[in-house]
Amino acid sequence: MKRWIAILAVIAIAAVLPLLLSPTGYWIRVLTFTLLFAAMAQVWNIIGGLANQTSLGHAAFFGIGAYTSTILVLKFGISPWIGMFAGGFLGGIAALIIAVPTMRLQGHYFALATLAFGEVMRVIANVWTSLTGGPVGLSVPFVPPSIAAYSFKQLLPHAYIALIALIIVTVIFEAIRRSAMGYRLRAIKENPAAAEVIGIDTTKVKLQTAVISGVLMAMLGTLYAQVAVFFDPDTVFSAASISIRVALIAILGGVGTAIGPILGALFIIPVEELMNDLFSSGAAGLSQLIFGVILIAVILWRPRGFITVFDSLMARFSNKARS
Amino acid sequence: MTILDVRGISRRFGGLQALSDVTFSVPKGQIVGLIGPNGAGKTTFFSTLVGLIRPDSGTIQLDGTSVVGQKPHKVAALGMTKTFQNVALFAESSVLDNVLTAGLLRHDVETARKEALICLDRVGLKSVAHKLAGNLSFPERARVELARALCTGPKVLLLDEVMAALNPVEMQEIMDLIRSLRDDGITLLVVEHHMRAIMTICDRILVLNFGRLLADGTPEQVANDPVVVEAYLGRSMEAHK
Repeated sequence: MKRWIAILAVIAIAAVLPLLLSPTGYWIRVLTFTLLFAAMAQVWNIIGGLANQTSLGHAAFFGIGAYTSTILVLKFGISPWIGMFAGGFLGGIAALIIAVPTMRLQGHYFALATLAFGEVMRVIANVWTSLTGGPVGLSVPFVPPSIAAYSFKQLLPHAYIALIALIIVTVIFEAIRRSAMGYRLRAIKENPAAAEVIGIDTTKVKLQTAVISGVLMAMLGTLYAQVAVFFDPDTVFSAASISIRVALIAILGGVGTAIGPILGALFIIPVEELMNDLFSSGAAGLSQLIFGVILIAVILWRPRGFITVFDSLMARFSNKARS
Repeated sequence: MTILDVRGISRRFGGLQALSDVTFSVPKGQIVGLIGPNGAGKTTFFSTLVGLIRPDSGTIQLDGTSVVGQKPHKVAALGMTKTFQNVALFAESSVLDNVLTAGLLRHDVETARKEALICLDRVGLKSVAHKLAGNLSFPERARVELARALCTGPKVLLLDEVMAALNPVEMQEIMDLIRSLRDDGITLLVVEHHMRAIMTICDRILVLNFGRLLADGTPEQVANDPVVVEAYLGRSMEAHK
């Protein structure tokens, strides 16, 4: 009961927050990207947290989503809402293709294989000029603003769409975690041989997880394309600013928990923006350097993620309430 | 009625012939002991039966269905599973969740939870259901192993040293449990080093030595078989007297 009140309160605050920011300002953009990256990290968390398979190639699915919906608008005038599902479908297929050979790999080997897959997709998008426009990138065409066309004059609706997306993927994450699949994934994570012997089809469960994560990541790619309006292969298929960043957000926040990626994004995206804002006029790379130092400090302080700060605060709070 | 039929199972690891032409069959409802010196191939044999290790040759039929070359989860679904000698629990999960996960083979989450509590009750661990599996003592963990295997609803259950490090009272409880499982229609293969326990509960004993089946008979026959006594039992029987 208490839990539900807390969740509703957080959603209410999140729903009001965009209204308090200047609709044409800089921070509404930061908020939108924070919510979007929280959702992306949550989707990564399905495979990275629940299945314990550290993917460093999620940009592959993200880029597929961004390109699919944008190409469908450009070439056929199909609404990005529909393009989003087409992208999700292709993202799922891509996830299946990469998961079949890499699934047996564990730890670093899986991470490296997925990293390579993301890079391959980036190269393909750069080279396949007739479809993707190559290194020049694509611009989402301007159409008269309407919900059906997924086109808005301001960022505010994008912020709300990102918020809704975050809520949806968090519900999906939590539903999986509590379902039979969640139990099976925990078993596989802790002891794959024992999991098999008690009847878990470890191959099938891992494939399902990879596909769900791939589909959702591709769908979020459409959301990104619609906010960013312009993108090129090096942005949406980026190893550093997509693949590694979503993994970092989830890990820094608390991997395998529903709150972790949200905490991680609330920290990383605004701090990164703030550093750029404060120090970008200084020496080249100074802002990244300071951001890097902050990240290292945070990881040293809380190796298991911000979730541990959150947990101890909750424990203190409930102890006080009892005494 | 034969529930498990093993013919000519062999398996080589590099220069070591771990299993060599092992053949026997087990009628439904028997308690079969599997004994032999360390390194005789007992655990390898169990792993082969459940599909973790693929034999180089031979056939295994479970209730009339061939299981050689099947993955372990398929073998479990067909009704055969094992416990792990060195205990392979999901240490970061609760005892209940460990057992519940096995119940998911045949049930939804809610039914599996009820089944899991029944299985935990049978091994006498209902009171620690909500503890983390990793925080239990070794003998307790071995019993969680047993409960987890039981919760898959097996026809044939392979127990790999579940009585290790138990005190006499606990050992009696597990022996009673094994008999009651047999009464439920489950066929059991039991690897155990404790000779008195195995001689008491087993209907039949197989002796494995250097991967080869040395003897197959009732506890009395095996205990009096000069070949077995020479290879293994003699010293061990002395030690337990």
